[in-house]
Amino acid sequence: MAVVSTPSPAATAQPVGDQRSSLSKFFRRIRIGLPLTLLGLWTFLPFLVTLSVSLKTRVETFSDLGLIPDEPNLDAYREVISDPTFTSAFTNSVIVGIGTTILTIIVGVPAAYAFARFNFRGRNLILLFTLLPRLVPSIGVLVPLYRLAVTLGALDRRLTLIVVYAGTLIPLAVWLMVGFFQQIPREIEEAAAVDGASLFTRLRYIVMPLASPALITIAVLSFREAWNEFTLVLVLTTSPDTRTLPFALFKLGQSEGISNFPAEAAFAILTVLPFILIYSRVEKYVVAGLTSGGGK
Amino acid sequence: MTPTLEPETQAKRPSLTRKLLFRSPRSKSPKSPKESAAQPAMIGQGKLTPYMFSFPAVLVVSAVLAYPVLAGIYQSLFRADEIGLPEEWVGFQNYSDLFNDGDFYAALWRTAIFVGGSLVVGLTLGLFFSFALFRAVGGLRWMRAATLAPYLISNVAAAVMFRLIFNGDLGVINNWLGYIGIEGPAWLADTRWSMVVVIFSQVWTDLPLTILLLLGGLMTIDKSYFDAALVDGASPWKRARHVTIPLLAPQIVVSTVWLSYSTLTGLGVVLALTGGGPLGSTTTLAMELYNTAFRRLEFNQALAMATVILVLNALLTLLYVRVSRRFQVPG
Repeated sequence: MAVVSTPSPAATAQPVGDQRSSLSKFFRRIRIGLPLTLLGLWTFLPFLVTLSVSLKTRVETFSDLGLIPDEPNLDAYREVISDPTFTSAFTNSVIVGIGTTILTIIVGVPAAYAFARFNFRGRNLILLFTLLPRLVPSIGVLVPLYRLAVTLGALDRRLTLIVVYAGTLIPLAVWLMVGFFQQIPREIEEAAAVDGASLFTRLRYIVMPLASPALITIAVLSFREAWNEFTLVLVLTTSPDTRTLPFALFKLGQSEGISNFPAEAAFAILTVLPFILIYSRVEKYVVAGLTSGGGK
Repeated sequence: MTPTLEPETQAKRPSLTRKLLFRSPRSKSPKSPKESAAQPAMIGQGKLTPYMFSFPAVLVVSAVLAYPVLAGIYQSLFRADEIGLPEEWVGFQNYSDLFNDGDFYAALWRTAIFVGGSLVVGLTLGLFFSFALFRAVGGLRWMRAATLAPYLISNVAAAVMFRLIFNGDLGVINNWLGYIGIEGPAWLADTRWSMVVVIFSQVWTDLPLTILLLLGGLMTIDKSYFDAALVDGASPWKRARHVTIPLLAPQIVVSTVWLSYSTLTGLGVVLALTGGGPLGSTTTLAMELYNTAFRRLEFNQALAMATVILVLNALLTLLYVRVSRRFQVPG
């Protein structure tokens, strides 16, 4: 990989003298380059293999085992995109993803603001009730939520998924946002209040713009959860009309007969790609948001 | 206002576990003396405003997490004689049945292998890769962001990828093993190897957060420790063993807690990769719970298993924190 040959100045804090030989330089490059190459292989090999298989035909998956296909073609992608199971699952994923993001933000952000800024009776207790359930694993609510949904007639609805996902995300959102809001100096808001700005005006024109990196972080993490979550959607939906992409991909793998590996691979790539593209665009905000809020 | 990863401010922070357990979020940011005094009410704050702001969050979180988990524990004390009949109070019958069931112990044993194996593989790789990334500066910085890729995809997509890699006939692993004259096993179709593949797939999905945690810890360590060790002529291995790893103890504990939680309660990877097979060789407790509830429709028994998983998780977390205290460097 190209990684090995890249020089890495100041990589270690070694007090090396002027007379370092080219041999020791070479060994240092290997010491830094080899682990990184292994890390690259570990991280990307699964993606590369899947991409490779998705560009082959069904016959070629058995005859052409190489990582680089002899005759790459997009047949598998055409097959997946023209499949109504994929298109409806894709639509559902987009709807549930956006819905979850919006609900998480409009419920989580005001709560976080209240915890960060207001002094009120029962504050710590209410905060505990909001954050502590974060520790509940989804396996602990899988059966109860299913039975609750059956009782309420909420099974197989996109809205149910949205509310459930938002519920699992709000503790995280509050946790991150409280830290972020506390970093915004009170004085800015107090000055605006003295000038006659109402609470709403202050939130809209001062707090929200300042908090936008954290908001983007929460939006991305919420969308990610809704886009990728698998076990709850498996239990809470029963028809293709509400299934999201992970469930549809799972179904494809469960189908009878000889596996259609290229289609499965192409489906996986098409599931993974949209979110990776979104993420790569806002990556720096997310890293900043994570390290400034909850990380501190 | 721009958030940065300044080593000085980070070094002062309490460990995440401590914060989770003992601190209120207010003490998260380094506060000025003025802030720690009782905050005056904000101008324009109505008496009810804070409650109106926080009520919806409490409501949704309670409805989706708190109530279901408590109701589930309570309902594990009931049982219906047959599917569809009303559920009746049976006390701890579901639990005693569980503890008299060979399948349960088999699943418990497989879970122990799954959790233990994932911890060993995950922590080893996590430390190795975070050390590697720590040195990746300058033009290699993008590697840090790229390492997150497995965290961005669903368990099902990861399972599809690992099924392709470990496919006995056309998988890349067996293809490569063939080059060096080894005939690889059928991996996921082989009861001796299926758990190994499940462990590696699970670790693959969990490792990015582990690396991120450990890397964050490495960046808070004061450079002078390394310099001192270097001056004393310690070998790289000794530096890692006696300097870096002890100083990294808090992050290693959090990583352990997180990996253990993720594998003990994790259902997605196992379900999508093997469905518990072949011949039940990867049926962990979580998988057994799923089968009990949604294949056999014995919901109350499944709820008892969920409670057992929750208790196990709490016990393991306590154990890690206990053990880690013994190894912590004073100060």
